Amino acid sequence: MRGKVAVIGAGQIRFGELFEMSLADMVEEAYLNCLNSVDKGIDPKEIKAAWFGQWSGGFIGQGAMCGASLASFIGNLEIPVTRLENGCPTGGDAFRHACLGVASGVYDVALAVGAEKMRDKPSAESLGGAGGGGGAEMGLHPSWMMGMGGPGIQALHATRQMHELGYTMENFARVAVKNHHNGTFCPYAHYQFEVTIERVLGSYIVCWPLHLLDCCPQTDGAAALIVCRAELAKKYTDKPVYVMGSNIGIDHKNLWDRSSFVEQLSTVRAARGAHAMAGIKPSDVDFAELHDCFTNTELMNIEDVGFARKGEAAGMLMNGEFDLDGRLPINPSGGLKAHGHPIGATGVGQLCEVFWQLREQADKRQVKLTNGIGTQHNVGGDAFGVAAYNILSRSI
Amino acid sequence: MSQAPAPASPVYWRLNTGVYRLIGIKCNDCGHITYPVKKICPECGSLNVEEYKLSRSGTVHTYCVQWAPPPGFEAPIVPIIVDMDGGGRYQGILTEVTSPEAVKIGDKVEMVFRKVMTDRGLNVYGYKFRLVEEE
Repeated sequence: MRGKVAVIGAGQIRFGELFEMSLADMVEEAYLNCLNSVDKGIDPKEIKAAWFGQWSGGFIGQGAMCGASLASFIGNLEIPVTRLENGCPTGGDAFRHACLGVASGVYDVALAVGAEKMRDKPSAESLGGAGGGGGAEMGLHPSWMMGMGGPGIQALHATRQMHELGYTMENFARVAVKNHHNGTFCPYAHYQFEVTIERVLGSYIVCWPLHLLDCCPQTDGAAALIVCRAELAKKYTDKPVYVMGSNIGIDHKNLWDRSSFVEQLSTVRAARGAHAMAGIKPSDVDFAELHDCFTNTELMNIEDVGFARKGEAAGMLMNGEFDLDGRLPINPSGGLKAHGHPIGATGVGQLCEVFWQLREQADKRQVKLTNGIGTQHNVGGDAFGVAAYNILSRSI
Repeated sequence: MSQAPAPASPVYWRLNTGVYRLIGIKCNDCGHITYPVKKICPECGSLNVEEYKLSRSGTVHTYCVQWAPPPGFEAPIVPIIVDMDGGGRYQGILTEVTSPEAVKIGDKVEMVFRKVMTDRGLNVYGYKFRLVEEE
């Protein structure tokens, strides 16, 4: 994979509560933005395959999605299109598959699209659709799974981080302060307002120890990326971004099989494999988009991908090291926390941000580049047992 | 609601021995203990596994207090992960507790038989955990 694939176009829509837009409307706009972003232009017919990251299918009432859905949305019925679902890493994995399609030599140009419509149902139902309830949909019993779902699973980690690592609710809240601040500079972010530690800690408790403002929102959104064989990249742009590593990491599907609640081995495995593929160390990375579905999760991710030793991320955060102007900016887009988390679109949107940052097109949220390497990460699925990690670079 | 469980579902009938008799497996190669019963150890892939009866008591590994459960569930729910006496972890619900201050990591807990939910007029039973009273 290393250096064989280039990203030549990236487009998304502003994430948010998009009641006026259907899933098809969102995909159309993200796709057109993506096509129009290709500096020297591209004929849509040059796209030879597509992957559609779409997590919820029929869960949230938008109808079950398949390859024909995306093909119809973009008016291209002559190419193979696959819908892919792999938990919260759905978007990151759709991108990985497009890259694999190109790296294999089968397709010169491929498209990855992610989209999710989460706001057509009230929050509680939308969250219930996102893996909670009694557990029957997961083949599990309510005496094991009652009331679980994303917030519950991450709150179980947060309690343990506080106990084992000495982390505090103030530490978690500081992640929200940082990411909301970044979001105010991002025209695509769902939330574009500042929060303070006091406001986070004063917000409603969703699942102790996590407050409402520790949680990412339920968001509608869509994003798209075009990749091609690296040798062809200059035909489309003078500033391509190259894919250096792309990996999926796995851990147990049941929480009770997991070895630790302060570490997610899915992330550890995804990042370790991708860094090896790219031939780089975590310390070579200039900035990262890490999956902050909850504030405590960002701290865990920073450690799990190898940017800090276990137990050190909170101190580094409080010192400002992960701020936009810090040593290693984390989530310049505002992260899931402010940018939003339309599940299938999330990873693709993060990769758009990495693309723009590496091309120095990120305006007021532009980070400083040293090695010209940025990474993208998702973690989720059953018991957060799936993680995606993609490494992009402006040079091979 | 797409996630609505159905008590008469074959899903729950299949889980009976795991849920009510606490039968799981222990891997003779890596030592991993889990439930419900399966032929392949999920940790190491070994087929050298044997049935293992889980303990009914243990200590709290971690917990949270869920104030925003999915529709149809009454808040608060206190999910916990338990380090079981004798080995293995169990995921369940802590009963008789509604605040985070009432429990701490390391507290001793034991299983009690409880109604876990009602769905369309039918009760679903299972084990919950409660704090063990200190002497």
